[in-house]
Amino acid sequence: MYAVGTVYSRGGYGYLKKTIRGWNAAARGTPFLLVTDLDSAACPSALIEEWLSVPKHDNLLFRIAVHEVEAWLLADSKGLATYLAVKPGLVPKRPEALPDPKRSLVELASVSKRKQIREDIVPRRGSTAQQGPGYNNCLSEFVQSTWDVQLAANNAKSLRRTLDRLSTFRPVWAPAR
Amino acid sequence: MRISKIVLKNWRNFRSAEVELGDRVFLVGPNASGKSNFLDAIRFLRDVAKAGGGLQPALAGRGGLSKVRCLAALKDPDVEIDVTLTDGDGGEDWRYAIGITQGVRGYRQPYIRYEKVWRGEKQILNRPDSQDQKDDERKTQTHLEQISANTNFRAIAKFFESIRYLHLVPQLLKHADYYQGSGTVEDPYGRNFLEMIAKTPEKTRRSRLKKIEAALRHAVPQLRALTDTKDEAGVPHLEAIYEHWRPNAGRQREDQFSDGTIRLIGLFWSLLDGDAPLLLEEPELSLHSSIVAKLPGLFHKLGRRKKRQLIVSTHSWDLLSEKGIGGEEVVMLQPDKNGAKAVLASSISEVGDLLDADLSIADAVLPRTAPEQISLFDLAV
Repeated sequence: MYAVGTVYSRGGYGYLKKTIRGWNAAARGTPFLLVTDLDSAACPSALIEEWLSVPKHDNLLFRIAVHEVEAWLLADSKGLATYLAVKPGLVPKRPEALPDPKRSLVELASVSKRKQIREDIVPRRGSTAQQGPGYNNCLSEFVQSTWDVQLAANNAKSLRRTLDRLSTFRPVWAPAR
Repeated sequence: MRISKIVLKNWRNFRSAEVELGDRVFLVGPNASGKSNFLDAIRFLRDVAKAGGGLQPALAGRGGLSKVRCLAALKDPDVEIDVTLTDGDGGEDWRYAIGITQGVRGYRQPYIRYEKVWRGEKQILNRPDSQDQKDDERKTQTHLEQISANTNFRAIAKFFESIRYLHLVPQLLKHADYYQGSGTVEDPYGRNFLEMIAKTPEKTRRSRLKKIEAALRHAVPQLRALTDTKDEAGVPHLEAIYEHWRPNAGRQREDQFSDGTIRLIGLFWSLLDGDAPLLLEEPELSLHSSIVAKLPGLFHKLGRRKKRQLIVSTHSWDLLSEKGIGGEEVVMLQPDKNGAKAVLASSISEVGDLLDADLSIADAVLPRTAPEQISLFDLAV
């Protein structure tokens, strides 16, 4: 059993990339799970090498939601269809293959039967914003209330691998100094 | 109804500014760029229209016309405010325009140069009229402030009157005795905040405090059972139980609340209070960055419920990094020796390109609002 401790986030991978040596160094006392998204086609192991010039500590779990974490939300197609009030068939089948999962999610919400969902998630006509004003509210509500991580993992390999890694993970403790 | 456009001429540090406003507006700019002055133009209309208000008290409360007039203006030009009001339900727009000047001799009493009202395309008020020409005294009052004269545009007088402004100062609330009131009826800084809560009908009051407590539970988890109460002298207070290491948690009054708690309570209360435009001055003050980051979403949620317009001044990186904020919602104030300019962030092509590339307002806009010479700031002392 694990409990989630402090969540470090600054919205975006730039912060994680900048601070990764810190997490790696501190991993000898506390396990860290680092989740980021992969914009380029580079493979995860190449990315970790690029980010971290020193060897990765075993207690630092480095996981990548291919493209964007929204892909993991789209992966629970049944739950998302219910939450967004759209036909289940409209949810993209292979979320990890989507070039821009966030845009797909916004487009999906734009055909919602519920006006409130459309107003919250979809940017207004003519807006420079890429997401609606209630996007974050709605998606965190979805994750809290509806999202089924196991169903989603059946449909998103990177999520499945993250769950597997977490369930088999045993921290390595350095001998006392 | 909301203010969809505002034009200011010679108002405080705006010599000439014109900007369109949406349902949610974020005012950004360096210190002393005119964020409060911009809000004050809207508050001024409220002060003219409200019961017991009027043009003369609204100006006197601001130190007279010469304090209000733009210093960058040449000579003594008219101070002008022109607002367009849009009815969300598809009714015709209203437009109210006022020009103010003052006498050349003696007491130099301010009077209206003009006062005009339109409903749609049709002009329904055009002053000075023939009666004004005969009697100069008439021009010291607006028709907006007179019930007998504003029959045809009562809706906009009511609208201006209903506008709310909040800039809660926790110290004023906590230590009300130390501060002498200025005698103004309006109290945006919180001296009468508790009285305002106490005057709210009981059912509404209880339901609001309950909602606020529910929201606070996630921000200040030690606090519960938020209620209002009165002391032996009949003075209203807020009370809550503050859980701590002692088994019997004690009840605390507002003078023991933290600044952040008080500001959150004030913020939620004003968001839940009424459906008229709400002007908020730097809502990020005293709050943790993780709460500040959630404010734009909260404004949207509560504003939409009542179709309420929110105009918010801010310096906060955390607030403006919310990706749901569009450049068309952000009014940038740019100081200049010829008076400040107000522009929509989306109208600047470089900013627009950055926002299109999914940068946040914080990344694309805030750097432009830093003073040009800021790199020298700490070298000066």
